[in-house]
Amino acid sequence: MTDTTSETVRVGELGPTGAFERKAQDAGNHRVRNLLILAFVAFAALWPLVHENTFLLTMGTLVALSVIGATSLHLIIRTGHISFAHAGFMGVGAYVCVLLVMKLQLPFAVSLAGGAAAAAALALLIGPVVLRLTGKYFVLVTFLLGEIIRMVFVEWTSMTGGSNGIFGIPAPYPALAEPHAFYYFALAAALLCVGFCARILTSEVGRAMDSVRESERVAQCSGIPALQLKVTIFVIACALAGVHGALLAHFLHYVDPSSFGMVDSLNLVVMNVIGGMNHLIGPIIGSVFLTILPELLRGYVELQRVIFGIILIVVMAALPGGILELTARVRRLLASRRS
Amino acid sequence: MTRTAWKAATIAVALLAGTATTYAQEELKIGAIGSLSGGGTAWGLALQRGVTLAIDEATKAGGLKIGGKTYMPKLVMYDDQYTATGGKTAADRLVNLDKVKYIIGPIGSPPVLASVAVSSPAKVIQLSNGFAPAILKNDAKSPYNFRVMNSNVEFGPAMIKWLHKNYPAIKKVALIAPNDAVGQAVIPTLVEAYKANGIEVWTEMYDRGMKEFTPLLTRMMAQNVDLFDLNSNAPGEAGLLLKQARQAGYQKMIWQVGGPSVDEIINVAGPLADGFLSYETFDFSSPQAQAFDKAYHAKWDGIINAQAPGWYNAAKILFKAMETAGSTDVTAVRDALMKVEGYDSGMYGPVIWGGQADYGVAHQLLLPFWIVEVKNGKSTIRDKLTPEKR
Amino acid sequence: MLSPIIIGQVIVNGLSLSAIYVLIALGFTLLFGIMRVVNFAHGAFAMLGGYALYYLYGKYALPYPLAVPLAALIVAVLSLVLETLVFRWFYQKMFQSMIGLLGLNMALMFSSVIVWDVYERSIPPAFSGVLRLGGLILAADRLMVIGIAIIALLAFWLFMTKTRYGVAMRATADDVEIAEAQGIDTRTIYRLAFLVAIFMTALAGGLYAQIYALSPFMGERPLIVAFVVVILGGMGSIPGAALGGVILGFTESILSTFYGAAVSSFVSFGVVIALLIFRPWGLLGKPE
Repeated sequence: MTDTTSETVRVGELGPTGAFERKAQDAGNHRVRNLLILAFVAFAALWPLVHENTFLLTMGTLVALSVIGATSLHLIIRTGHISFAHAGFMGVGAYVCVLLVMKLQLPFAVSLAGGAAAAAALALLIGPVVLRLTGKYFVLVTFLLGEIIRMVFVEWTSMTGGSNGIFGIPAPYPALAEPHAFYYFALAAALLCVGFCARILTSEVGRAMDSVRESERVAQCSGIPALQLKVTIFVIACALAGVHGALLAHFLHYVDPSSFGMVDSLNLVVMNVIGGMNHLIGPIIGSVFLTILPELLRGYVELQRVIFGIILIVVMAALPGGILELTARVRRLLASRRS
Repeated sequence: MTRTAWKAATIAVALLAGTATTYAQEELKIGAIGSLSGGGTAWGLALQRGVTLAIDEATKAGGLKIGGKTYMPKLVMYDDQYTATGGKTAADRLVNLDKVKYIIGPIGSPPVLASVAVSSPAKVIQLSNGFAPAILKNDAKSPYNFRVMNSNVEFGPAMIKWLHKNYPAIKKVALIAPNDAVGQAVIPTLVEAYKANGIEVWTEMYDRGMKEFTPLLTRMMAQNVDLFDLNSNAPGEAGLLLKQARQAGYQKMIWQVGGPSVDEIINVAGPLADGFLSYETFDFSSPQAQAFDKAYHAKWDGIINAQAPGWYNAAKILFKAMETAGSTDVTAVRDALMKVEGYDSGMYGPVIWGGQADYGVAHQLLLPFWIVEVKNGKSTIRDKLTPEKR
Repeated sequence: MLSPIIIGQVIVNGLSLSAIYVLIALGFTLLFGIMRVVNFAHGAFAMLGGYALYYLYGKYALPYPLAVPLAALIVAVLSLVLETLVFRWFYQKMFQSMIGLLGLNMALMFSSVIVWDVYERSIPPAFSGVLRLGGLILAADRLMVIGIAIIALLAFWLFMTKTRYGVAMRATADDVEIAEAQGIDTRTIYRLAFLVAIFMTALAGGLYAQIYALSPFMGERPLIVAFVVVILGGMGSIPGAALGGVILGFTESILSTFYGAAVSSFVSFGVVIALLIFRPWGLLGKPE
């Protein structure tokens, strides 16, 4: 049998042993990367000016919001765990925020903080228990946990409105009722979130996360409190997922359990897998891809799912680093041709 | 040789002229939203096909004559995946990208509520079908939003009254429903209607997707109920519930205030379905149904979903309102919709709008409905009822 | 509520549920036990088994005892293509297999939608009678499923312990390299195990579709069931699958009858989570 002694999912192992990570830290790549990021942000900021269309704005807003969810899941993935309950935490944030706004008439900012705090609290309650598990069992537990959270939304009708959900949710602030305003609001939130995650990943904490993922025992020997670190990251990520859920609910003006089920968790995972799990840019590419593609291929819904399925197989079988690795491989190929 | 060339040229010119005249008629986009993937697909297809048949008819008649112009209706439909997010995105796309002014669908409370939140502020007429009362009953009084099929608020009380009159011995009913949007919206109103007729109610909810009901049915039989109501269950589940109830030895009456799913139930339960009573939205044995049936099966195979005639009817009413308004202006068409009372699309008899008492706005289309009974594996009409106009 | 008839009926129901659950879980646990693959496409293969039975028995009216195994065999043999194209990449990679095979599940499910449309079909029942024993009632088709489940379990056990191939399979499951050193062609063994696993899954799927309903989405429930049963009993363990199926079947029967469906779902998911946390290898599995 192959080596199963270290059971955490070593994301680095999935890629060419973290080669991409190291490469990205090369000075030359640094400048390219910064330019790319700048171009991306500029494009996102100018997006509403390119056209007059509110539909494209809606798409932009949905992309920005799913970036929050996908990058927050990315944090958990970087500690070596893949959570299939992430949409459940989104739901907790969404429901708590909406209920605070609508039942207690609290201001949106306070309610949003409340939603995030509720998701974080649940994560803090569950995290220390489930994060003791190795990667594969963590997947199975969160798979069921997400289902349980969704079932609570469905069954607790007096609070959540059950499957009919809660409708008539107001815009966070009157000014944000306007699509352009909400787009910039969502974009700002997404940038903040990405910046925050980038800060964590490039800091001492980020390196500790990498070491925990690669080998929890070795990390512990070097004095890293592995479980504590994983729980902290899990709590932060779930709080961010709660923010994603709350913003989504206020954007749609409607919240119901069907937005927080297995399929939605799976979508967030797919965003990370397709984009690439070794780098923060992965989930961002994934979010753009998975939100826009269904719109381009509307009318071919079934075919599109078939294609997604095949992409998942190919990525997991042959291209563990996702789209990012594909570009890296192409670059390497070109470089070797040149030399 | 030259003669052939000449002929070809004449034909080409004629063809070009032909296409040119079709282009002279204006295209009129009719938006539609429905589930084309996932669990609700049968309904989405019923909507797509019903509306398509209405559009085909209009096209065959040379287009819609509205205020001296001829419009060719064209269907633009998007999938909502039976979710709120899908409903919102689809409505957004129809309203903002395709610039449609009329939307037919979707089906099911979550996508309906989310799409109405887009269409109403944009002043787009929407004809939808979901059971949540909030679809019509809201602060804005649904300015551009209509419901074109009966919800259980319309047919439930009428059916239960009929039951109480015809089967006075029934004292206790069991309701087993999915805990989805439909089930949770339907159960409270049904419970109220049964209690109003002095019938005791026992309810149980299950998670959608469940297929094995024998333990729940054992639970039900321990309650000594006289009647089992399949209420809002989807056709497949309704069939299984009936089959498993009979197999578990339940011998009393079974009926369905909802659905309708008679064909599927006969299909799933076979001879066990005999004696089953049900709500039916359409009399497939009537002469007008034969024409619909023929037109449908000229294009598609299989059983006609009972919602298809309803969507055909909705599209026809919309077209009639446009012709009455003499314009495609949204507000004019909206006002004309209220004025087409009495128009008969040939499927359900004259149009009646109701719902003022229940929703504060008379935007509920009241359709007649039927009570059918399964006899020797065939659905036969027992009675025809009409919802009360309140 | 606690009349002897009801208690008897609860036991009968539990038995019939257990049989279905055991059948559904066998293929899933075998793939995991031998190849360390978490087959998230399990439901899709069950669904394909359903369509195969629909054509052979429902449409072409083959005799039932022939149609059932033949339908499963056809699906299993055709699936060997997928073994080469997809599964081969995921052997011994538990984590990658989960996500890759979720992809396969999606691809198969929606391809079926394109081919067969989404509406639910029904396969005509082979037996429609009910069996009455005193006050107890059992549908004949359920009795048949109980019979098939017992036969399948016995056959499985005999195959794994008494035949050369079964022993080779167990050796491969224990340690691929040592098995190869002993002269076992592990590639062939893997294909054989795959064939047997998919055969069982398609067989269970056919019966499931006949008892309940057939549609491209019918596999979702069997997947969850297999998942829960196998985690309960222990991933990869065949006696574990039997035990897990019986526990889930009886739990569901008892809880649904006395406390309702919601309680039953919450409890069974909760128990499985607790088990995963404190004894992730399940009741009869081996800790790694």
